[in-house]
Amino acid sequence: MIRNLNIILIFTSVFMLAGVYALKFSIENTASERTALIALIDSQEGQLSLVKADEAVLSQPGHIEPIVRRHQVALAIVPVKQEQFGAFGELPMRPVKPNTAAMDSLFESLEAGVDPIDAILELEGIE
Amino acid sequence: MAVTAEDFGPTIALDGARKARGNLTQNRIRWMVLALVLGFGLVGGRLVQLGMVVPDSTIEGQARDVITATRPPILDRNGLEMAVDIRVPSLFAEPRRIIDVEEAVRKLRTVLPDLDETWLRNRLTGEQGFVWVQRELSPAIQDQVMRLGIPGIDFITESKRFYPGMTEASHILGATNIDNQGIAGIEKHMDGENVALLQDLGLARGNALAPVDLSVDMRVQHIMHEQLLDAMTRYQAIAAAGVMMDIYTGEIIALASLPDFNPNEPATALVKDSFNRITSGIFEPGSIFKTVTMAGALDSGLVRITDQFDARFGIRFGRFTIDDFHGKHRILSLPEVYKYSSNIGTIRVMQAMGKDAFRAFLTTVGFDQRVPFELPEMRLPTVPKELSEVGAATASFGHGLSVSPLHMVTAYAAFVNGGNYIAPTLYKRDVAEAEALYRRVLQPSTSESIRYLMRLNALEGSGSQMNKEALGYRVGGKTGTAEKVVDGRYSSSKVTNFFASAFPLDNPRYAMVIMVDEPKAESVTTGTTAGWNAGMVTGRIVQRVAPMLGIAPDFSEILDRNLVPPALR
Repeated sequence: MIRNLNIILIFTSVFMLAGVYALKFSIENTASERTALIALIDSQEGQLSLVKADEAVLSQPGHIEPIVRRHQVALAIVPVKQEQFGAFGELPMRPVKPNTAAMDSLFESLEAGVDPIDAILELEGIE
Repeated sequence: MAVTAEDFGPTIALDGARKARGNLTQNRIRWMVLALVLGFGLVGGRLVQLGMVVPDSTIEGQARDVITATRPPILDRNGLEMAVDIRVPSLFAEPRRIIDVEEAVRKLRTVLPDLDETWLRNRLTGEQGFVWVQRELSPAIQDQVMRLGIPGIDFITESKRFYPGMTEASHILGATNIDNQGIAGIEKHMDGENVALLQDLGLARGNALAPVDLSVDMRVQHIMHEQLLDAMTRYQAIAAAGVMMDIYTGEIIALASLPDFNPNEPATALVKDSFNRITSGIFEPGSIFKTVTMAGALDSGLVRITDQFDARFGIRFGRFTIDDFHGKHRILSLPEVYKYSSNIGTIRVMQAMGKDAFRAFLTTVGFDQRVPFELPEMRLPTVPKELSEVGAATASFGHGLSVSPLHMVTAYAAFVNGGNYIAPTLYKRDVAEAEALYRRVLQPSTSESIRYLMRLNALEGSGSQMNKEALGYRVGGKTGTAEKVVDGRYSSSKVTNFFASAFPLDNPRYAMVIMVDEPKAESVTTGTTAGWNAGMVTGRIVQRVAPMLGIAPDFSEILDRNLVPPALR
C-alpha cells in the first residue's frame, strides 16, 4: 500500500516539477514581452509628445504670421482696416409702411381713365 | 546443581543483526533530517535576506520618479499650447558594468565629440552604479549610441519642457531647469502651488496632469511682442515692454518685455537686461501718473471737473521752480490741465486735494506695496512714506517715486472700470469671481470723469498720434515722458516713454501700458516724446487686436459726446 502511495507521490512530484518549470519559462516569456511592450509604448509616447509639440509650434500665431507675410502679395491680403467693418445698424432701414397715398392717387387716376405711363411714353415719342 | 546467574559474570547481550541495522537507519535518518533542516534553513534565511533588500532606485541622489516627472501643459485662454512636455533620451552609464573604459570613451566620443576625454574617462571609471553622461539628447544621437553597442551604457527617457511659442511669452512662462523644476515665471509659481507636491508624491507621471489655463491670449501676445520688437528697431530703443489687462476680471491678456530670452534655452535668461520690466522693473512713471492725481483729487470732492487752475507762472519751492514742458501760461480748466499735461496745473490740483490726502490715495491704489501677482519676479516700488511739499508736488506728475508698469496698469484698470481695484492674475478668472475680490477705490462718477479725460487726451491732446492709428476703437490714454537720472541729474536726451490707455472707452474692457526705453526720433518730423513712440505702438497694437477681442470700430461722434460729463456739456 505504502509502496503504491510512494510511486504515486513520485510521479506527482515529477509532474509538478515539470509544471513549475513550464510555468517559470512561460512567466519569463510574458515578462519579456511585457518589457518589450512597455519599451514600445514608451517610445511611441515619446514620438507622440514630439508630434504634439510640432503641432503646437505650427499653430502658434508667431509661426503663422511670417508665412502669411511671405504670401501677402500672391494672395493679395492685408490686415483688416477699421473702415472695412460693417454693422447691421448701417443697413438702410425698410420704409416704415407702404406709401398708401401715392398708391391711392395712382389707382384713382387709372379709374378716371388716365394712365400716368401714357404721358411718359408720349413724351419719349413712343406710341 | 542449580546453575544460577550469580555464578556468571555480567551477561553480554549482543544486538541481533535486524536491531543493529534498525539503529543505524535511525541514526542516518536523524543526520538526514538535520541536514535537510539545515539546508532548508539556509534557503529560508537567504530568502528572508533577499526580502529585506531595498532595491536601489535612485539616480544620483534623486528617485527615478522625479527624473521622469512630467509637468502639466500650459494653455492660453483659447486652448493653444504655450508649454508642453516632450520625451527625450538621456545617456547614462553604469561604470561597474563597463568592461573596457578606454574603448567606451573612444567610441562615445565618435558620436559625442563635445565630451571632454579626461572628464569622460574619470566619469566611467569606478564602481558606481549610475552616472549621467549627457542629458536630453536627440533620438538620432540615441540611435547612433545604441549602434555602438557599448556594455554598461544605456538611455533613460526624461521629460523636457518645450515652449512652442519660443521667445514670445518668455517672461510669463519663465523656465524650468534640467530636472523639470520651475525656476522662473509662472512655472515657478506652479511649483509653489501644487506641481512640486504632485511630483514628490510620484503622481506626476505620464500625461495624467490636467492642463493649466492661463488668461493670456497668444494672438494678442504675439501682436504685442511683434509691435514691441518693431518699436525697438524703429526707435532704436534699448528696451520696450507692454502689458494688457482685462479691467473687470484682472486677467492679463498679454505681457511682454524686450529684450527677452528663449525659455527653451534657460541660460539665455541670464543675459543682462533681459529682466521682466513689467513686474520687476520700477520706473518713474512721469506724466501717466497725472491720471492718478486727477482721480484722487476728483474723488476727494475737493476738486471738480469744472474747476480752473492758475498755470500762468511756474511754482517756486525755495531755489527750485517747477515749470511746464510746453507751457500755456494761462489759467487752465481741469480737462486742459490734463490735455496739455501741465505740471503746474497738476500741482495745483494736488494742492487743492491736500498732500496728505494725496499720499493716502497712493496707498489706496496700492502704490506702496507689491501688486498681488503670480510672477515671482517682483520689485518693491519706492514711494516715500511721507511727502514733503516739494515731494508731493513732483510726485503729482510722476517724479520722485518709482513703480512698476504693472502698478500703473492695475491703477488704470481701477480708474476706468467704475473704481474697483482688482489684482491682476495670469490664471483664468470670471467676472463673478473677480467681483468678490473688488476693493472700491473711486466713486463711479469719478471713474466716468477719468474716462472722459483719457478720451479727450486722445482726441485733442498728446494721444492724438495714437488715435490716428486706432481710429474707431475709442482708445483713450495718457502719455508719460520720464527723464532718466544720469550721473545724478535728470537727462533730457535719455527718457523712458510710457503710454497708459484703455479701450473702448464708451464701454471699457481693456487697459494697457506700453513702455519704450530711451527711444530716438523715428524721423526729423517726429519727436522723442511718448506720443510719437509709446503712443504709436499702443495705436498699432489696438488696431490689430481689437477685432480679435471682439471690438468693432465705431466712428460715430455721439459715443465721444456721451463721455462728456453733464457739468461740461
